[in-house]
Amino acid sequence: MIRATRNYLVFLRRCFAIAFVGDWRYYLWMGALTVLVLLGLNAYAKQLVHGLIVTGMSDQVSWGVYIANFTFLVGVAAAAVMMVIPVYIYDNEELHDLVIFGELLAVAAILMCLAFVTVDLGRPDRFWHLIPGLGVLNFPASMLSWDVIVLNGYLLLNLHICGYLLYCRYQDKKPAKWFYIPFVFVAIVWAVSIHTVTAFLYVGLGGRPFWNSSIVGPRFLASAFTAGPALIILALQIIRRITEYHITNKALLTLRAIVQVSMLINVFLLACEVFKEFYSGDLQVASTRYLYLGFHGYHALVPWIWTAIVFNLTAMFLLVLPLSRSLRWLNLTCVLCIVGIWIEKGMGLVIPGFIPTPLGQIVEYRPSLNETLVCIGIWAFGLLCYTVFLRMAVPIMQGRLARANEDLPAGELGPVAQAASQHS
Amino acid sequence: MDDRPRNGKLSDRTKAALIQWSLVLVFSGLAVLFIVNPWRQSHLLYPIPLVDKSFLDPAPNRRSYADFVRTKDEDALSDFDCYACHENGKPPTLRYDAQQHLIIPREHSDIVMGHGEQGRNNNCFNCHDENNLTLLQTRDGRFLKFQDSPQLCGSCHGPTYEDWEAGVHGRMSGYWDHSLGPYTRLPCVNCHNPHSPRFQGRKPAPGPHLLHEPASAPVVAATH
Amino acid sequence: MPLPDASLHPDETPAAAGMSRRSFLRTSAVLTTGLAALASSLRPLLELDDYTTVQRFMQKYYKEMTPADMAKVLKRIEDEVQKQYGIRPHVRDLKPMDGVQFVYCLNLTRCIGCRKCVHACVAENNQSRNPEIQYIRVLRMPHGSLDLDKADHDYAPPTVPEKGYFYMPVQCQQCKNPPCVKVCPVHATWQETDGITVIDYDWCIGCRYCEAACPYWARRFNFTKPEIPKDRLNPEMAYLGNRPRRQGVMEKCHFCIQRSRAGRMPACHDVCPAGARKFGNVLDPNSEVSYILRNKRVFIQLKEELGTSPRFFYYFDV
Repeated sequence: MIRATRNYLVFLRRCFAIAFVGDWRYYLWMGALTVLVLLGLNAYAKQLVHGLIVTGMSDQVSWGVYIANFTFLVGVAAAAVMMVIPVYIYDNEELHDLVIFGELLAVAAILMCLAFVTVDLGRPDRFWHLIPGLGVLNFPASMLSWDVIVLNGYLLLNLHICGYLLYCRYQDKKPAKWFYIPFVFVAIVWAVSIHTVTAFLYVGLGGRPFWNSSIVGPRFLASAFTAGPALIILALQIIRRITEYHITNKALLTLRAIVQVSMLINVFLLACEVFKEFYSGDLQVASTRYLYLGFHGYHALVPWIWTAIVFNLTAMFLLVLPLSRSLRWLNLTCVLCIVGIWIEKGMGLVIPGFIPTPLGQIVEYRPSLNETLVCIGIWAFGLLCYTVFLRMAVPIMQGRLARANEDLPAGELGPVAQAASQHS
Repeated sequence: MDDRPRNGKLSDRTKAALIQWSLVLVFSGLAVLFIVNPWRQSHLLYPIPLVDKSFLDPAPNRRSYADFVRTKDEDALSDFDCYACHENGKPPTLRYDAQQHLIIPREHSDIVMGHGEQGRNNNCFNCHDENNLTLLQTRDGRFLKFQDSPQLCGSCHGPTYEDWEAGVHGRMSGYWDHSLGPYTRLPCVNCHNPHSPRFQGRKPAPGPHLLHEPASAPVVAATH
Repeated sequence: MPLPDASLHPDETPAAAGMSRRSFLRTSAVLTTGLAALASSLRPLLELDDYTTVQRFMQKYYKEMTPADMAKVLKRIEDEVQKQYGIRPHVRDLKPMDGVQFVYCLNLTRCIGCRKCVHACVAENNQSRNPEIQYIRVLRMPHGSLDLDKADHDYAPPTVPEKGYFYMPVQCQQCKNPPCVKVCPVHATWQETDGITVIDYDWCIGCRYCEAACPYWARRFNFTKPEIPKDRLNPEMAYLGNRPRRQGVMEKCHFCIQRSRAGRMPACHDVCPAGARKFGNVLDPNSEVSYILRNKRVFIQLKEELGTSPRFFYYFDV
C-alpha cells in the first residue's frame, strides 16, 4: 500500500518535473503562453476590482464573449469523444493510441470552460453557493445547475480515464478493462449530454425567440462534432511533427470523415433555420434579421456572420472533394471549420439573442480590451494545460517516461527530436 | 553538448538558452509594467446628472378649495369671495362675441374656457349658481358647496365618477390596506382645471442612460 | 548509478546531459522572474476594498436563516450603511401578509409618459445613479400597435403626452410562473406567498441567467459599485427590498416591499400625476384592483402566450 502510494507520488513528481523541460521551441511556446496568461490574469484582477463594467456587456446584452467562448469550448470538449466512438465501438485500430490525446484535449477544454464561466460571474467568491449540501443548487429546474454537474462530472471522468491509462502505461501494466471501459462508454453518453445541456440553457428561455427553437440542440452537436475533430486533426499533426509519435495519415482521414459528415449536417441545419426565419415573414425574426442583414441601422454582426458562412460553405465543399485528402488542403479546411464555427456559435448565437431586447431596444455589443485580454489569457491557459498534458503523455506512451527509468532526471528524457538533433 | 554552430546557425541548446534569457527579460518587464500600470481605466463612467427633484414630487397638479381652506391660504381664498366685487342678489351678465365665444371679463382673465369640444360648455352658469355665486349647481337641481364639486362633475361624467368613487379614476395614494393607515382620494379639481379640464402637457423626466456611452449613432436613424 | 535504459538515446544518459550550474541559474532566473510577474499581475487586487468579509462570505441563505441569524445580519447591514453613508437606516425583514396576493393594474389611457414613476422608484429603492439603474422603463408606442419592436425608449419631446402615441411603463411583472425563478442556479430569487418575486442579494452569484431568461427585461445587474448620493438615500429599508446592493448582484422591482408589506402603496403608484397606476390585494373584493378586473373590458398581459402569467394588467378606459 505504502509502496503503491510512493510509486504514484513519484509518477506525479516526474510528470510535474518534465513539464519544465524541453527544447527551445517548447520554451518559446510556453513562454509566450505564460505572458498571455499573465496579461489575462492582470485584466481579470482589474475586473474583480471594478466589476463587469470593464467589459462591453450591459443590461441589454448581458452575456458576451465569455459565454460565447464557453459555448464553443463545451462543444470541443464533447467532440473529443468522437474519437472514442470509432475506437471502442467500431474497434478502429488506427485511432486506438490517439484517443488519449482527444481526451486530454477534452480535459483542457473543460478547464477553459470552467474558467470562462468563473470570470463571467459577478460574485465568484460565492461559487460555493453552487455546491449541493454546502449551498443551494436549484436542481433539476435550472439548466445551469445541470451544467455545473455534468461539466464537473465530465472533467472527473476524463481525468480518471486518462490518468488511469497513462499510469498503467507508465508502469508497463495492462490496464484492467473493468476500471476504464465502463467509464469510456459513460463518457460517450456524457459527452453528448454536456453539449445538449448547454444547448438547453438557451433553448429553455421562452422570452428569447431567437434561442427558443428546437433546432438549437442538434445544431450545437453538429457544429461541435465538426470543430472538435478538426482541432484534433491539427493537434495530432503538431504532435507528430514535434515528437515523431506514430500517427498514421489513415487516422487523420478517419477524423476527416467525421468532420465531413458533421459539417454537411451543420450546413443543412443552417439552411433549415434560415428558411424558417425568413420565409413566412412573421414578426419574431428581429434577432435573425439583425444578425444576417442588420436591423434599424445596426449591423455590427453582419460581416462576422457572412464570413462564418463563407468559411463553413468553403470548408464543406473542400471536405466533400477528394482535394481535402491531401494534408495541406485538409489543414486549411480544418482552420476554416474551426474559425467559422467559433464565429457562428459564439457571436452568431449568443449576441443576437440579446438584440433586440425583449422590449425592443437595440444596444450593440463590442468586447472591451480588458475582456479580450481575459479571453486570450484563458485560451493561453488552456493551450498551456494541453501542452503540459501532452508533454507528460507522449513520453509515457512512447515508453520513454516509465517506472523502469524512474531514477533519470527529467532533463535527460527530452523530446525525441531534441535528442535526435543533439546526436547528429 | 554540441555547442558548435552548424551551417552558421545556432545550435538547439544555444537557442534554448537564448530563449530562456529573453523570457527572464520579458517576465521582468511584465512585472514592472503591471506595477506601473500605464493603462489606467479612469473613465469607466460618464457623468449622468441627478434628476431634478420636481420629478420626485408626489403633490397633485393643482390645489383645491379644500386645500386652500386647510392651509389657510388667504391669498387664494380671496378668489372665492365673490361678493367682494359682485353685487348681492344681482346675477352677473355673460357676454359673447360674434362667434358665440364667451368673453372672459378682465377681472377673471386667469380663466381659460375649454370645457368641452368646440366650446360647448360655454355658459358659466351651467356649473355656477348665478343667484349665489358661492355655490355650484347641477342640471338636476342640486346646489353644492365648492368642497363637494365632484358630485357636480359626476352629474355629467357618470362612468368616470363611478370609477372615481371606487378609487379607480385618479390617484388614491397612501395605504392599500385601509386598516393600517390613511388613504387619500382627491377631488377632481386637484388634477383637472374645471374651466379647462384636459390634462396639460408637461415636460417628461429625462430618458434612460446606457451603461456604456455610445461611440457613434447608427447609420440610419431609427424609423420609429 | 543505474544502467541506462536501452530505449534511451545515447545522449540521454546521465553523464551526457547533466544540469550544469549555468542552466540551473538560468532555470531559476526564469522561474523567479515568472513568479514575480505572476505576483505583480495581481497588483490591481490591492484596490479591492470591502469586497467581502468573513461574515458576509459565510452568510446563510435567506430561507435557512433563523430569526436570530437575521437579526445579526440586519444589524450588520445597518452598521455598513451607516459607515458608508453616514446615516443610520432602519432595516427590517418584513414577512408576507396572509390572504394577500398583489396585483398591479395600469391604465394605458391615462399614462402620459412623464417618467415620474421611474425616478420616484429610483429614489425610494436606493438605486445606483451612476451607472444608472432604473427598474421601470416607459415605452412610447404608436397608436394601434402593441408590437414592442415599435417601442421608443428614448423619447424626449418638450411636452408629453404626444398625439398619436400611448405610453406603457414596464417593470417586473412578478409573474405567477416566473422564468427567472426557474433558471436561477442557486435559488437566489424566488416568489413569495404574496406574489412578489424577491432576490436575496447576499446569495446571488451574479451569473445573469435570470436577466437572459426574463421576457420583460425587468432585471438589472450591478456592473460596478452602485453610487447613491448621501442626501438622497432612503433610510427605510427591507432586507429583500431597497437596502443598498453591492457590485456583482442582480436587482429588480419588488413592488416596494418595504412599503407594500407595511400596507402602503409603492412609490411609483403614489407619484403618478395621472393616477394611471392601481395596486392592491386582488383577494380583497373591495380593493381597486378587484374592481378593475371585474369591470374593465380588455386586459393586456404582456407576452401572455409565454405562459408567465404576469401580475401586471394593462387596460384602457376609452
